[in-house]
Amino acid sequence: MSDFALHGLAPSRVLAPASAEELADCLREASARGLAVVPWGGGTHQHLGRPPERYDLALTTSRLNRVVAYHPADLVVTVEAGVTLDDLQAELARSGQWLPWDPPLPARATIGGLLASRATGALRLAYGPPRDFTLGMRVALGDGRLVKSGGRVVKNVAGYDTHKLQIGALGTLGVIAEATFKVAPLPEYRQTILAAFTNPHLPARAIEELRAAPLQPIAIAALNRLGEERIAALQPFRDGQPAHLVVLARFAGTVSAVRRQIREATRRCVAVGARTIELREEDDTPLWAAIADSTAAAYDGTLLLRVGVPPDAFGAGAGLLEQIACRRGWAPRQLGIAGGGSIYSRWHVAGAEPAAVAAALAEVRAGLVTHGGYAVVEEAPAALVTHLDLWGPPPEGVALMRALRASWDPAGVLNPGRYVIA
Amino acid sequence: MSAQEAARRQLIAALTPIVGERYVLHRPEELLLYEYDGSALDQATPDVVVVPASTEEVAACLREAWQRGVPVVARGAGTGLAGGSVAERGGLVVSLARMNRVLSVDPLARTAVVQPGVVNVDLSVAAAPYGLHFAPDPSSQRSSTIGGNVAANAGGPHCLKYGVTAAHVLAATLVLADGSVLRVGGAVPDAPGYDLLGVVVGSEGTLGIVTEVMVRLTPNPEAVHTFLAIFDEMDGASAAVSAIIAAGIVPAALEMLVGEGIAAVEAAVRAGYPTDARAVLLIEIDGLREDLADQARRIAEHCTAHGARELRAAADEEQRQRLWAGRKGALAACARIAPHYHIQDGVVPRSRLPELLRFTEEVARRHRITVVNIFHAGDGNLHPLLLFDLREPGVRERAIAAGEEILRACVEAGGSISGEHGIGIEKRDYLAWIFGAADLEAFAQLRAVFDPAGQMNPCKLLPMGSSCADIQQARGALRAVAQGAWI
Ligand SMILES: Cc1cc2nc3c(=O)[nH]c(=O)nc-3n(C[C@H](O)[C@H](O)[C@H](O)COP(=O)(O)OP(=O)(O)OC[C@H]3O[C@@H](n4cnc5c(N)ncnc54)[C@H](O)[C@@H]3O)c2cc1C
Repeated sequence: MSDFALHGLAPSRVLAPASAEELADCLREASARGLAVVPWGGGTHQHLGRPPERYDLALTTSRLNRVVAYHPADLVVTVEAGVTLDDLQAELARSGQWLPWDPPLPARATIGGLLASRATGALRLAYGPPRDFTLGMRVALGDGRLVKSGGRVVKNVAGYDTHKLQIGALGTLGVIAEATFKVAPLPEYRQTILAAFTNPHLPARAIEELRAAPLQPIAIAALNRLGEERIAALQPFRDGQPAHLVVLARFAGTVSAVRRQIREATRRCVAVGARTIELREEDDTPLWAAIADSTAAAYDGTLLLRVGVPPDAFGAGAGLLEQIACRRGWAPRQLGIAGGGSIYSRWHVAGAEPAAVAAALAEVRAGLVTHGGYAVVEEAPAALVTHLDLWGPPPEGVALMRALRASWDPAGVLNPGRYVIA
Repeated sequence: MSAQEAARRQLIAALTPIVGERYVLHRPEELLLYEYDGSALDQATPDVVVVPASTEEVAACLREAWQRGVPVVARGAGTGLAGGSVAERGGLVVSLARMNRVLSVDPLARTAVVQPGVVNVDLSVAAAPYGLHFAPDPSSQRSSTIGGNVAANAGGPHCLKYGVTAAHVLAATLVLADGSVLRVGGAVPDAPGYDLLGVVVGSEGTLGIVTEVMVRLTPNPEAVHTFLAIFDEMDGASAAVSAIIAAGIVPAALEMLVGEGIAAVEAAVRAGYPTDARAVLLIEIDGLREDLADQARRIAEHCTAHGARELRAAADEEQRQRLWAGRKGALAACARIAPHYHIQDGVVPRSRLPELLRFTEEVARRHRITVVNIFHAGDGNLHPLLLFDLREPGVRERAIAAGEEILRACVEAGGSISGEHGIGIEKRDYLAWIFGAADLEAFAQLRAVFDPAGQMNPCKLLPMGSSCADIQQARGALRAVAQGAWI
């Protein structure tokens, strides 16, 4: 099977354009001939969405792998879509800068793929999602028009910010050729504390306390016991005592500011009944990389849900998911990320009837309604994927979204059938 | 009675039962107030102004306009600087002035739900009891509205650190041209579907009317430190800005005042701006005490290395407030220099500031116009304020020519024609300097998805070619700065 196989489908051709113009040419051709295209970055997020309805061409951005312009003095960088996030970070780090963005698998994941799948990580608590630091893009629309929006300066209101539409569109509106970002100075020092709770319920209060002034954590993650056990980087910190839940809070800045925050955060966690461990600086980066990677596809027969809830329902949402999965013996591994209100819940559904999984999913969605939350199935085993409503009900404004897709991909060749806007 | 006047009367009759007689304005003296925005570059009289009190009323009014093919222009406080709220083709102006309530503040989620007519600073006042504020702080914040800020994607001094309006809006209720109501975004980010909110923010009222907004609130910092860096040379000051950014220091705000503007500001507020300086940086850093001490030291080093003759810290909160009052009142203060103005809003990469700033002065000299640069230096967002007296023959043309030349230079330096004021009428024809035909076509398609009949703020934001050619433009009819206006 080809490297570009998807749900058992393989493309008849793989195209690897070497420039934005060539990328656009490929799409113009495909559109004219009605050939279905799957844009392909690092392949780390191809588990998202339904199987494509048709799949003729894989369009890889592997040759669009240049840093187009980087002016450290302006804190702005422009890259082609096929550059991996790690490669970009390495380049930025040489000038003491970074993109404060920590999605899973950055060694393989490309900028274009990460943007298209709206992949984020825990750093969004402090730095916002990528839409907030993406300044502009060049995009090949479905019919092969090469268009740009935004610009290469940190402030710009000229034209519509259409690049924001591409973020999270899963390649159904166009293929990102190039993106420009506002970058940030690397913090002088980063350190994390770990707080273990014996209370099985997500200590929403602890998270509130960790966010309250003057603390300014750059990331907060909460893991249930099963989630925590899976993260090898956490092994050294396990002290043999029973813990049901672990909350990690990460701080950045000057050494003295971080130290004071760690002390204060420790005091607050202890006050709400946690045992705390202060991690060493050198453990910080690998640990958070491992946490990010735990939301990547596992291809092990499990089901991965991403649930969005407002902050006041963070605890309730996590509880709902655990309860629904535990009742069925599906041993949920959970990671909650503060700031974006995301809870990832991985269920061991091997052997379960599709109807039973669909019913559990419906129960989750029904339970989230009162909170204004939503649930997306990010990864489903092959036996289930076509039986589940992966995206949930159509979003408000779906008619406009369809009209937009019809304007920019009139032949409907981009990832047909995969996204919520099919 | 002309057919046009008959149609206007029918529209008035249709709107009256929706909002009540008092809130349908149509007499010439009532309409006068709605002819301009803050730039007064463009002027036009709407046929009717309606002042609805709810989303439902806005929707009902828009349905009436839609059925009649009447263009609709949303209006907040009318402080826009690009002609965005001017009813260029007549039609219906929808004023959001009565929808001015903060509906709720959620201190835990750090969000607020507000109506669009809420004045920017009033939102921060409502959030203050919770130790929170609304971060975007345009200099017009004492009069401009949240709806206008959202429509313009407004910036402000503190957007250097905290980001522009787009980063602080979570959801909006939008009434489309046909009167249908749509909610974009949500309290929970990243729900499936396209990020329509992302294009609505900054759309200048061309996609629909925003009738409710959920915003993000920002915690007040633990500590704030505000100081002036005083320079005898403009180049030293702008080079210091470039150096600070290049060193990876992002202050909360980094504003620059050059030349005659300093004296004008000082005369207006007496905040302690040194009137003999050639350039002044107003620098604010905020955050944790320890981080601040470190930043202050590094910033001071860069300023001194570039020839700052003195660093002067605000002694207390009152003095800090006065320094900011001076900065935010700069436009009004400059009315002391000359009676008329034209302000530009170009952006350049921050490493190019020194040369672009010199260029603005050279252009002004060449066109024999006074220029005052008071601007968001840390963002590279120039605001050359061209000052003149319209009674002088030919000066209007020279001002416009000078403005264009400066914007062209910004574009050539890799920048943009507008950092925060928007395109509106004023800069629509410049859009083609930075976007090609395919880009503009994609923009137009997006717009048509929201507004197929082209009735929402028609002819704004995009160059629309011939369809707007018949419009009487009062271009260059520059108006005197309203004395004493807090802007
Ligand atoms: C002295 C002065 C200083 C300024 N400083 C700054 C600054 O620092 N930063 C900055 O960004 N701007 C600044 N501005 C420009 C202006 O204040 C901003 O653009 C502001 O956001 C406009 O708000 P408004 O309520 O006055 O909107 P208006 O001027 O009434 O309208 C502006 C645009 O938004 C549309 N609009 C208004 N309300 C709605 C709505 N509810 N739904 C849809 N569309 C709507 C209008 O149609 C128009 O296109 C300044 C202006 C002045 C006069």
